[in-house]
Amino acid sequence: MRQCAIYGKGGIGKSTTTQNLVAAMAEAKQRVMIVGCDPKADSTRLILHAKSQNTVMELAAKHGSVEDLELEDVMQTGFGDVKCVEAGGPEPGVGCAGRGVITAINFLEEEGAYTPDLDFVFYDVLGDVVCGGFAMPIRENKAEEIYIVVSGEMMAMYAANNICKGIMKYAATGKVRLGGLICNSRNTDREIDLIEALARKLGTQMIHFVPRDNTVQRAELRRMTVVEYDPKAKQADEYRALAKKITENKNLVIPTPITMDELEELLMEFGIMEEENTAIVGKTAAEESGLGQAASA
Amino acid sequence: MKELNIADHNTLFKREEYQTSRQKKKAFENCASAEEVQKTAEYTRSAEYKEKNMKREALTINPSKACQPLGAILAAVGFDGCLPYVHGSQGCTAYFRSHFNRHFKEPFAAVSDSMTEDSAVFGGQKNMIAGLKNAHDIYKPKMIAVSTTCMAEVIGDDLNAFIKNSRKEGSVPERFPIPFAHTPSFVGSHVTGYDNMMRGMLFHLTHGTFKVAETEKINIIPGFDGYTVGNIAEIKRILDLMDVKYIVLGDNSDILNTPMDGEFRLYSGGTTIEQTKEAMSSKATFSLLGDSTYKATAELLKNDWMQTYVGDVVPLGVSGTDKFLMKVSEITGKPIPKELEKERGQALDAIADSNYYLHGKKFAIYGDPSYVEAITDFLMECGAEPKHVVSTNGTKRWGKELTKKLAGLEFGKKATVHHGADLWQLRSLMATEPVDFLIGNTHGKIMAKELNVPLVRIGFPIFDRHHLHRYPVFGYKGVVNLLQWTVNTLLEDLDRNAGEHNFDYVR
Amino acid sequence: MSTRMTKEAAETAIKEVLSVYPAVSREDREKHLYVNDSSVESVGSCLSANRKSLPGVMTIRGCAYAGSKGVVWGPVKDMVHISHGPVGCGQYSWGTRRNYATGQTGVDNFIVMQITSDFSEKDIVFGGDKKLEGLLREIKEMFPLAKGISIQSECPVGLIGDDIEAVAKRMTAELGLPIVPVRCEGFRGVSQSLGHHIANDTVRDHVLGKTEPDTTTPYDVAILGDYNIGGDAWASRIILEEMGLRVVAQWSGDATIKEMQSSHKAKLNLLHCYRSMNYIARHMEEKFGIPWMEYNFFGPSKIEDSVRAVAAKFDKKIQDNAEKVIAKHKERMAEVVAAFKPRLEGKKVMLYVGGLRPRHVIGAFEDLGMEVVGLGYEFGHNDDYDRTIKEAGDATLIYDDVTAYELEEFTKRIKPDLVGSGVKEKYVLQKMGFPFRQMHSWDYSGPYHGYDGFEVFARDMDMAVNAPVFKTTTPPWKTA
Repeated sequence: MRQCAIYGKGGIGKSTTTQNLVAAMAEAKQRVMIVGCDPKADSTRLILHAKSQNTVMELAAKHGSVEDLELEDVMQTGFGDVKCVEAGGPEPGVGCAGRGVITAINFLEEEGAYTPDLDFVFYDVLGDVVCGGFAMPIRENKAEEIYIVVSGEMMAMYAANNICKGIMKYAATGKVRLGGLICNSRNTDREIDLIEALARKLGTQMIHFVPRDNTVQRAELRRMTVVEYDPKAKQADEYRALAKKITENKNLVIPTPITMDELEELLMEFGIMEEENTAIVGKTAAEESGLGQAASA
Repeated sequence: MKELNIADHNTLFKREEYQTSRQKKKAFENCASAEEVQKTAEYTRSAEYKEKNMKREALTINPSKACQPLGAILAAVGFDGCLPYVHGSQGCTAYFRSHFNRHFKEPFAAVSDSMTEDSAVFGGQKNMIAGLKNAHDIYKPKMIAVSTTCMAEVIGDDLNAFIKNSRKEGSVPERFPIPFAHTPSFVGSHVTGYDNMMRGMLFHLTHGTFKVAETEKINIIPGFDGYTVGNIAEIKRILDLMDVKYIVLGDNSDILNTPMDGEFRLYSGGTTIEQTKEAMSSKATFSLLGDSTYKATAELLKNDWMQTYVGDVVPLGVSGTDKFLMKVSEITGKPIPKELEKERGQALDAIADSNYYLHGKKFAIYGDPSYVEAITDFLMECGAEPKHVVSTNGTKRWGKELTKKLAGLEFGKKATVHHGADLWQLRSLMATEPVDFLIGNTHGKIMAKELNVPLVRIGFPIFDRHHLHRYPVFGYKGVVNLLQWTVNTLLEDLDRNAGEHNFDYVR
Repeated sequence: MSTRMTKEAAETAIKEVLSVYPAVSREDREKHLYVNDSSVESVGSCLSANRKSLPGVMTIRGCAYAGSKGVVWGPVKDMVHISHGPVGCGQYSWGTRRNYATGQTGVDNFIVMQITSDFSEKDIVFGGDKKLEGLLREIKEMFPLAKGISIQSECPVGLIGDDIEAVAKRMTAELGLPIVPVRCEGFRGVSQSLGHHIANDTVRDHVLGKTEPDTTTPYDVAILGDYNIGGDAWASRIILEEMGLRVVAQWSGDATIKEMQSSHKAKLNLLHCYRSMNYIARHMEEKFGIPWMEYNFFGPSKIEDSVRAVAAKFDKKIQDNAEKVIAKHKERMAEVVAAFKPRLEGKKVMLYVGGLRPRHVIGAFEDLGMEVVGLGYEFGHNDDYDRTIKEAGDATLIYDDVTAYELEEFTKRIKPDLVGSGVKEKYVLQKMGFPFRQMHSWDYSGPYHGYDGFEVFARDMDMAVNAPVFKTTTPPWKTA
């Protein structure tokens, strides 16, 4: 069984990419489980054709405690016999979503969800590694491979670098390794080159470039993955290619996160960021327009 | 020297000048009038109040359970040279230690790594690195057992990674054993913590070793037991009488019973690493209090150690002890010796002597699930009838199963089992459906006095009586102890309430 | 009989004891250990206090929750104090402090109760505010005579971002009861001390001055920082009343919320435990112009001094009464001293306690001819030590936030005749053969304050020091 965690900046398309990837794997007769680790609980809806499934935490709250739950209460099976679980968690601004992830994964372990017949387990993790809870999937005996979904946008790359820092912490003592960057294209300039350059700096690879394609959105409207909705579509082949590459991936590394300066340099090199004009630092609008002097005189 | 006649807190404030002072204070207190207090007190004992009280959803009043790390450190001190280490806020550890001090009247060592506000933000790894080094150098343990407080659990600290990183930083020598367990206080209770830590001890201390040819031995896990000092000695004596070889896993009976001879022993006795490794190859493991090992430890013993696990036999009461002896005999092939048959007969003889003071008496009981069930069984052997059976940390399943069992028994059918209930609810139950006596720990003494029900102190913690923990409640000898505590408490009560005519010399 | 260490011997002892520590920790601990020099005015930078305890050293300290719920708020008897969070904190602090109060438990007195929100996993994940709201309503229903509620935060509350202030505000309006949110999560600060401060601040913001006293007189005083352990405050109050003063409030032993609410009209605040209540004393001075003074009701000498000092703040009538009070107790106190001093004279004492006691009990021991040769505070600040160096003799060993190891080792070297500390230390020291008294809970005895308290104090110290059991730790066949 290989356990993989998918990280990436919020809104980058992690859940969509993960589910399409998993669908392609399932199509190739791989046995897969998805564990959604985002309180939004949208990591399994394309596989289950559902709005969102009942989450571990939601059900625990309803039944009284996690101890009162059975595995079948929280696990559903969808397209290609993919097993689906959502950790769930609070509304934004209250409680502790990180703890929800810990609770849910402990529950799955205790209840024997990790059956030996599984080929892959994918954790779809919220945004950044913001606290200990969101690092749960990469602790000892859990995911040993990490894939970061990224695009050519500045914040996405910034987040990818941060996630590498999180991985470093655990890689030093455990077996967790970075498997590569998945570029979910936003059609920015020289995106492939940029992500490949970033990957090199991080000591890893861009494992696949997923082009932007409307089929994904069309499928999503139907709460389906592309592989299921339109298996003949060109985009389906892209996910199949990604699936194949991940299945065969041997390039697992301890990442080498870079400093802010290095990252900025890279972004400037590709024209995403402009060189800082130190002359304007700390100047008010008034000062800049030259009226400042008159006013103060 | 002149006889001084010193009045302390027990009598001083009954003096007139203090009563006067008390009246003066009342003028500033804005207290309810005596009538109002009386009326309200009666209301809280009414059926109407009970109904509301039993329906509470969010509020817990006087629960009979503690939190996980308490159980974790009690399991940890049962290993040779083991220093319990609690990762998280320091106040918790101070509380755990004093809790055990007050029950056992013994020292209890445990360290904390004193996480503060900055650790809450940045995680507690720095505390772990420094803490393990300090603890190791100052207290020179043979092993350090790490558990967690809820603070560390909420921020999601990863013990496995932190301990590895501490080793890398040179906090402890390379192969120094550091078993650990995550023990979040907001899950389960102290018995869960015992379970998690016991599993952690057994797993980490045997890591890398393998089961060899099965030995003749059996393993004993004491569980979270306030009577561990008396009970372990008694179980050892019984097994010796049977000529059964055994290993006690987590033998904390020595460290909680050290002598006063001028030397303080930070470590004393306990299960060694070698014994723990050897225990993998034993024939079976008997967990004497199943609630303390029901999940994590049971799973390890069954799946990894591939052993027969006996977790449903508490050697308490006559039939409980019978079952235990028969099971031991069945597994080891050793017969039950005449001496134990004689002890059994002596226990029955004692019950026969006291039978008439217990038969048909209704009782209420609260405590940890395994104890509550075993003592209820024992009292039914004496003809007493359980009425209210409460376990705050009893699970739904436990409640369901016990309800079913009691309903089918002649002496048990009047009982109602309340899993998850607290002692304020038990107060309501006893106020509206009275019982003849109450079984439980120190926390029941206020309601017992208020409702004029004799409290037989059996349980944990017992802060207000001395030395009870030194006596076994297990085995046939334990039967006699339980019996004499119960019947003599009832006889004391009878004498206290007796009039002139029934103040009998012979009872 | 033991003798006091010399300054040099004490300094050597510190070095020896610390030698097992890792270098970084040794450096830190050195700053907390000090050999007293009564000629200096302030410990200044020679002694470090109120700093973080080192991880893993077995500190004896507790946490902010213990300081707030356990010390300051817990004794307020007609309020319900919620241990908000997981079950443990409230369980371990349930009825163990002996802050006596009158009233019927569960009806109009809620001190010896464990009232908790008993957080489970789902409360951590989804937040506890909703549950808190529900349980506040249930408290009102269960305890109709409760006059207020305090919410004592445990660690998780602060970590999951619950907004207990908003809940308290909303529910105060709904239930018509003062509901006080207290942010005393255990990870805040370095000891109980911050908990005292936080509790003082919440009393200031939510309680003080909220109602007016029914009447006032020129002789109104309030007792601050007496938690009525074993009845201490009652034994103190009676002396002040004898002096002709009117004690309008006890903070917070046997207190009611009304006493504290209307305390702002007192003429003088009498502060016993400076550490835990100086904050509110200073505030009342600033805002309401109420002067405050520290006093000491341990042992007849200090009581006499304090009674006179208090009386000096009032008119002649009170001053005359004060002399009468002192005279009245003189004979009895002489009898007590006569009875016990011969049995205790010259005995050496080591102390390690909390708020005020390390310095406040020195006089009482001296009344019995005993000498304090080592002392330390669990959660003292520098101003506590400044107040101590004048009370303690030269070359007294001072240990701040002592570790279990250090206390054991120092005791071995000093070989005192009596050790006074807490329950965690008690059994260690007894096994080592040292007579011991718990000086937090008065070892289930008391009161120790006031004239009546001194009799009990003297008796108890004698019971420990001269207990036959400590004289027989070596078997006769080994004494040769």
